[in-house]
Amino acid sequence: MRQILLFHKSNSGEIARNRLKLLLVSDQASICPGLIDLIKDDMIGVLSRYAEVDSSKIDLKFTKFASAGTREELPALSARIPLRQLTCKRNEECF
Amino acid sequence: MSEVIVITSGKGGVGKTTTTANIGTGLALLGYHVVLIDTDIGLRNLDVVMGLENRIIYNLVDVVEGNCRMKQALIKDKRYPNLYLLPSAQTRDKSSVNPGQMRKLVDDLRGDFDYIILDCPAGIEQGFQNAIAGADRALVVTVPEVSAIRDADRIIGLLEAAQMQRIDLIVNRIRMDMVRRGDMMSVEDVADVLGVNIIGAVADDENIVVSTNQGEPLVDTDAVSGQAYLNICKRITGESVPMMDLDSRRGILVRISDFLKRA
Repeated sequence: MRQILLFHKSNSGEIARNRLKLLLVSDQASICPGLIDLIKDDMIGVLSRYAEVDSSKIDLKFTKFASAGTREELPALSARIPLRQLTCKRNEECF
Repeated sequence: MSEVIVITSGKGGVGKTTTTANIGTGLALLGYHVVLIDTDIGLRNLDVVMGLENRIIYNLVDVVEGNCRMKQALIKDKRYPNLYLLPSAQTRDKSSVNPGQMRKLVDDLRGDFDYIILDCPAGIEQGFQNAIAGADRALVVTVPEVSAIRDADRIIGLLEAAQMQRIDLIVNRIRMDMVRRGDMMSVEDVADVLGVNIIGAVADDENIVVSTNQGEPLVDTDAVSGQAYLNICKRITGESVPMMDLDSRRGILVRISDFLKRA
């Protein structure tokens, strides 16, 4: 609707801000940014043993661990993993 | 009490030299004794931005190597009574000077000047290490772009590791029309991402190019960006100056249109 009314607000500034926030955490902690995909694949592997995971909607990122002091924060891994169905596959296999 | 300030950025082309020229000139306008030192050995530029390129005889490397006395190498800017430039060498490289020699050179100047301002080369190699060696505080210049901010963050980390006593940020080339549209990070966004104190913001201004063409720092003119630089100078001296409204076109129609865009 907003786009039709020509009141569309572009958000590349916001995109830049979010990209930087992730980038700086991995820079400061000397984490190789590609590591996140490796972790994601492994986590999907583990979780699929217990639940049906929607791998396209996983939001996994490095954030900063909120502690006192502005630049003394520690890196943290934050994950939001939507589950399609929490069927206990393991138990089914046992039967 | 003299203060040694290094102006650095990591990334090249964000406006370190322009900032150095304008802050140096601004502090001289405020009545302080100022010397600008170009530490970019091999790529000297501060001399042309200041319009003093035709007066160079000796340079920083000559002083360090003892080919001349400090007084012979310092160029007095005739437009301002208390402003001097120590130019860099053009035909040498960064390894001609080491951090210990820079520290001594800067300390030798402390007695004669209130502010010693070092223009740092881009990068994080020896040129950077030389420039920060004798500094009491740092001004990190960045622009609201992903690459420049990433480099600024790296530089801030290195300055902290080198126990720099004070680090402030200058956000250069802000375009308020783009910030309003949501297509550029705001000064507050940059401050939030980098987590350091902002000492000033300078709008993207074509007058900067004109002043560089002429070799005359625009802090002495009534251009908006000149005023922004002068405010930064006052904050450097400890004066409390409110942040300037970079938005020049805040008419009622603009406010209504902004409100509608946000809605």
